[in-house]
Amino acid sequence: METIGIMGAGIGAGLAVIGAGLGIGRLAASSVESIARQPEAAGDIRGAMILTAAFIEGVALLAEVVCLLIVFTK
Amino acid sequence: MRHINVLILSTFMLFSLVAYAQHDTHEHEPETTHEDTSAHDHLQIPEHAEDIHGAAHEEKAFNASEMIMHHVLDNHDWHITDIPSGKDAQGHTTYTPIALRLPWIFYSSRDGFVFSSTHDLDAKNYLVYHDHVYALKAGAVRPHADAHGAIHLEKEEWEAYKAENVDASVTLLDFSITKTSFQILIIAALMLWVFLSIARSYKKNTGAPKGTASLFEPIIVFVRDEIAKPYLGDKAMRFTPYLLTLFFFIWFSNLLGLTPLNSNIAGNISITAALALLTFIIINVNGSKDYWVHIFANPGVPPALRYSLMLIVEVVGVFTKPFALMIRLFANISAGHFMVLSLVSILFILGKGGKSIGGALGAMPISLLFTFGIYFLEFVVAIIQAYIFTLLTAVFVGMAMESHDHEHAHEHAHAEGDHH
Repeated sequence: METIGIMGAGIGAGLAVIGAGLGIGRLAASSVESIARQPEAAGDIRGAMILTAAFIEGVALLAEVVCLLIVFTK
Repeated sequence: MRHINVLILSTFMLFSLVAYAQHDTHEHEPETTHEDTSAHDHLQIPEHAEDIHGAAHEEKAFNASEMIMHHVLDNHDWHITDIPSGKDAQGHTTYTPIALRLPWIFYSSRDGFVFSSTHDLDAKNYLVYHDHVYALKAGAVRPHADAHGAIHLEKEEWEAYKAENVDASVTLLDFSITKTSFQILIIAALMLWVFLSIARSYKKNTGAPKGTASLFEPIIVFVRDEIAKPYLGDKAMRFTPYLLTLFFFIWFSNLLGLTPLNSNIAGNISITAALALLTFIIINVNGSKDYWVHIFANPGVPPALRYSLMLIVEVVGVFTKPFALMIRLFANISAGHFMVLSLVSILFILGKGGKSIGGALGAMPISLLFTFGIYFLEFVVAIIQAYIFTLLTAVFVGMAMESHDHEHAHEHAHAEGDHH
């Protein structure tokens, strides 16, 4: 059972990374597009991008911490 | 440019070769039972490495996760390195640890406040085990310790010992200055020195800033103009001192955490929890009437939902914001340290703890290049995380302070998303 638990933590970490990767990827893609379309707004767009990236990353890290806890408290 | 790259690379190769060579000497020991601990000693695991493992007589291969945990967790001594000091009767290399012993300061319901070195705790009938202090019963037998004072007990042995000899009725509150709190003091001293000298130089010098002031002025102005002003509007100057303190404290602690001989404090969840708690207090103390109305009687939803589901969601939202700040900083910084230490461990895992030179040589380029890459990435993460923590603090305080007739600010709050 313990081994399955650890495997679950590994799979969970991978899924969290996929989610965060998709989220940040889409965010970056549309930010770069907007900057290309409106270079004069680059500063504002970059600010909003970093802020949103931090939110996405926060959720992903929460999942990663849960996975770490599973491994350490097995 | 190419020459410099080659130089840096070869310097690093040399370091790991030296590290490996030292390690390799254990190979020739007559007995290999202490192999594991020597590997640890070598990777700056302190003299009580065995006591982390539980059992010295049942040594396994090099355990990377225990080495990593030891580096990341708080401790009561500031361990720098171990130097070989000779051989014992069985031919094992003995080590003298070079470490700064931090004092134990705790409140005990038996003896009041105790201020003591680890050594003197014995006389006062306390026992230190796994970096925790335990009060022993009068006349309790101390467990057998090795030459370094490390105690080797199996988990069950320790449980049995504890049930018999530890006085559970004594309440112990540990206030010791540990590695982490000592590091906070160092950072505080550094920040006082840097910023007092900047303040002094502005007092004397009315022209362009010089020296340290010219180094930090752009960063201070950046925090004020790019973080405080856009989100806090005309109240920005009230919060700029707090934001600057946050930014520089996190940045300095991350940078010091990446330099040798220092401990990384942002990878300790208590530190980030304390920072998030300060932000939590500031958000809620400065909350406007609209902020509280929004939480307890959200006007945007029908009354049936307003006092049931939305109330729960909004109240939980008050706590998730600082909680996310805490987790984000902690996880980012710990993840970086885990990565660096894991990549260093590759060398010892593939080198089979000194038995396979070929494995270690093969692992060296991978281990080195990746460590190098992650390490430099961590310098970027150090400042980005300081920026994000400060920025989100400003955003949350700004959101709590806004009144809802302020159209632009409202739209902004909606763009943030996670709370309305």
